Amino acid sequence: MARRLARLTGLLLVALGLAAAAQSPEQLRLPQTPWYRLSPEDQRILAPVAPEWDRMPGYQQQRLMSSARRYPSLQPIQKERFQQRIREWAAMTPEQRREARETYRGLRRLPPEKQHELRERWLERHQRGEAPRR
Amino acid sequence: MNEKEFAEKLKPWLDRTAAGIGEMQATKLKAARLRALDAYREPVRLLGLVPVAATTAQTLRYTVVQRTLLWLPLVALLGTLAWQSAQQQPDIGDLDAQLLTQELPPDAFLDKDFRSWLDGSRG
Repeated sequence: MARRLARLTGLLLVALGLAAAAQSPEQLRLPQTPWYRLSPEDQRILAPVAPEWDRMPGYQQQRLMSSARRYPSLQPIQKERFQQRIREWAAMTPEQRREARETYRGLRRLPPEKQHELRERWLERHQRGEAPRR
Repeated sequence: MNEKEFAEKLKPWLDRTAAGIGEMQATKLKAARLRALDAYREPVRLLGLVPVAATTAQTLRYTVVQRTLLWLPLVALLGTLAWQSAQQQPDIGDLDAQLLTQELPPDAFLDKDFRSWLDGSRG
């Protein structure tokens, strides 16, 4: 009985650990990676955020490095966008980044024609000079 | 002496004793015999190999089902969490890269109007 209880408790702890890992990666205390430890290739891709790099928490550095790994396979226009936006992205709060990911996921779940319609609508408004409402 | 010879010798003794049993006792014995026959089950072969008593097989089956039902929610929870964790961890860098490189700037995804259009499209 005692052994069964211990086993059950152990499994529950594993479950809770997995839940923590799955639900709040921001809170995981990932070690920071100093800028000088990055490969020259990563330094080149992540250059726009170099001034802030050493102040970023470890999890954010990991995510940016993970995104940078996809960089070589991007189209030229995508590379340009990446370079333009990465700084703005890094300057957002974790909450804002989480919200942006959620909304982006929501957009991806729509049928392609709906996605296109919403993109066009936003871009048209942006071109008219209307500021985004936060 | 084999089983058959033993039975033949025993039968007259039993007949003689049975004749001396009263009606009430005979009825009780008959009821007990019927109960025993009712409870009797043919032995079962486990996985078609090992013969075990039917009651043992029934207990085993009950225990297995009971344990499975007991562990099932926990196993399901662990499975779901492991799956979620596996899905989220490698996906996040990909997702960020997509967000940074697709048509709309990240700012758009924080725009309240854009979100309300999105909600409207879902509904």
